[in-house]
Amino acid sequence: MNNDQVSSGLWFFIGGAICMGSLQYKLGTLASPASGLMPFFAGLAICIFAGSGFIHATTKRRQGEKWGRIFAGLKWPNAFIILASLFAYALLLVPLGFLLCTALFIGFLLRAIIPQRWPVIIGGAFLTAVCSYLIFEVWLKAQLPKGLFGF
Amino acid sequence: MDVLGNIWVGFQTAFQPMNLLFCFLGVLMGTLVGVLPGLGPVAAMSLLLPTTFHVSPVSAIILLAGIYYGAMYGGSTTSILVNIPGEVASVVTCLDGYQMARQGRAGPALGISALGSFMAGTLSTVGLMFLAPPLAEVALKFGPPEYFSLMTVGLTILSFLASGPMWKALVMAAFGLFLGCVGIDTVTATFRFSFNIIELSDGIGLVPVAMGLFGISEVMLNVEKSMEQSIFETKIKALLPTLKDWADSLWPIARGTVLGFFLGILPGGGAFIASFTSYALEKKLSRHPEKFGTGMIAGVAGPESANNAATGGAFIPLLSLGIPANAVMALLLGAFILHGITPGPMLIQQHPKIFWGPVASMYLGNVMLLVLNLPLIGLWVKILKVPYPILFPLILLFCLIGAYSLNNSVIDVMIMAVFGLIGYFLKKFQYEAAPLVLAFVLGPMMENSLRQSLFMSEGSLLIFFQRPISTALMGTAIVLLVFPLVPWFKKKRFIIPA
Repeated sequence: MNNDQVSSGLWFFIGGAICMGSLQYKLGTLASPASGLMPFFAGLAICIFAGSGFIHATTKRRQGEKWGRIFAGLKWPNAFIILASLFAYALLLVPLGFLLCTALFIGFLLRAIIPQRWPVIIGGAFLTAVCSYLIFEVWLKAQLPKGLFGF
Repeated sequence: MDVLGNIWVGFQTAFQPMNLLFCFLGVLMGTLVGVLPGLGPVAAMSLLLPTTFHVSPVSAIILLAGIYYGAMYGGSTTSILVNIPGEVASVVTCLDGYQMARQGRAGPALGISALGSFMAGTLSTVGLMFLAPPLAEVALKFGPPEYFSLMTVGLTILSFLASGPMWKALVMAAFGLFLGCVGIDTVTATFRFSFNIIELSDGIGLVPVAMGLFGISEVMLNVEKSMEQSIFETKIKALLPTLKDWADSLWPIARGTVLGFFLGILPGGGAFIASFTSYALEKKLSRHPEKFGTGMIAGVAGPESANNAATGGAFIPLLSLGIPANAVMALLLGAFILHGITPGPMLIQQHPKIFWGPVASMYLGNVMLLVLNLPLIGLWVKILKVPYPILFPLILLFCLIGAYSLNNSVIDVMIMAVFGLIGYFLKKFQYEAAPLVLAFVLGPMMENSLRQSLFMSEGSLLIFFQRPISTALMGTAIVLLVFPLVPWFKKKRFIIPA
């Protein structure tokens, strides 16, 4: 299997799942379309285009195109550390409050991806949290969460 | 006289101190995001969209529009000095711009890029001023079938011109249409694919989707690689091009302006298509095509003018028809809707200040960019030297705040992270996100138009082929879909390199 075979196969199943899911909202008729019609058409279109993509990719596979390693030679864990930190930020933002959560987030990223010196980490985390608080909460009046500690 | 009167109203609006400030901030931030590789106008506009809630709609549109055309100016700086395009429309500028810099001619390259951009940006604003109002008059004759066909042809053109195989772009467009269906169906009041999550009942927000697909995924991809970037050390002197440079550049600028403007109007077109086409055209028309890629000033002047002219053109379908031509305009449409304004044929009549104010501000913005950019090139080079390990946490934080402050909801932050992951894998497997975003925005409008058309025709799909404008548009879409299947055309298809 090459990359396009895998991705088109996956899209084919996603399209199929959308079509199946749309049926619960009823399709109606062309003269009186119901809520499921448009998502059904979208799912069907995904299946058709992904199906044609699979055929195209299979032809290329027969011509010798192989699976290209998408993580080869890359520090891919960094990408997932960032993703995990985004989810952690979302979960901790309300309980910890904007200032503390932001300082921890910035400090963590400065340490975890390409480790910086501690003064840079602490100073950067503190300054970024305070400056962004002043810009967004005080100046732009965004309502950022205060958290358990009230700040 | 009517147009002159409206222009006068536009300048009165644009010259208000607050609007001048927002215009300045817009072009400044636009140049900055254009300079910084990996942060394009879509990401920047989605970042700033929530912060525009507290300002008037005119100021908000002036700010966001400034980011778009400002980014086109800024993008050339990195292309010329670092050989890294600040944003996708400046990719071709690398070819000759960087070679000019290596030959000690960074100054004229930057100078002609800024001056050409200024001329093209100004002329395309004139075009916008005179073309949008009559087009809006024509659009009043559009019914649901015409709108549906126009949106279909827009998505097809964008998929047709996308990098890589067309089927991938079409899958993206279809997936975008599906995402646009999530949330309450306004006709039947049925909740679709919202999985009992209250935040999804109004649909998925454009801002978290765009920030995830364009901002977060880009950072995820960048941190995987080595984050060292070298800046070509050269003294930038004599920014003003010589007479010979002008002679070599004037026609490329003129051709780039006209080409870029009309390609910008095209639904599915945009700045990056304009710059690639302009480069190809200049190479074809040149007496020395073999010298392109070795530091030809025409290879900088043409594409840079084209991408700036395209920004003006791209406003036309949005402001006169209410249909965004590309992902950036889709975000701008989102901004209009967030401020309770529906762009379209009635916009010019009902909200003249919101049309003419931002249009007039584009003249001022272009002047500001010219005045700002040449003296500030040194500053942009310094900003380029900020190490990415310091820069990326800030980009992520702005995305987080932007997503959260939209509805004060952490669900939006999670949606953004999920779309960051989706965008990351899409890029790994070489799928383009632009058709997805455009289809996502057009989805609800397309569904409404389709429904109304089918009600009108009592269920006959032939309605799309019984009205002249709709037939022409649908015919174009079908031709574009069928052409790639023709073996001869497969080899000839114009593909934008990824």
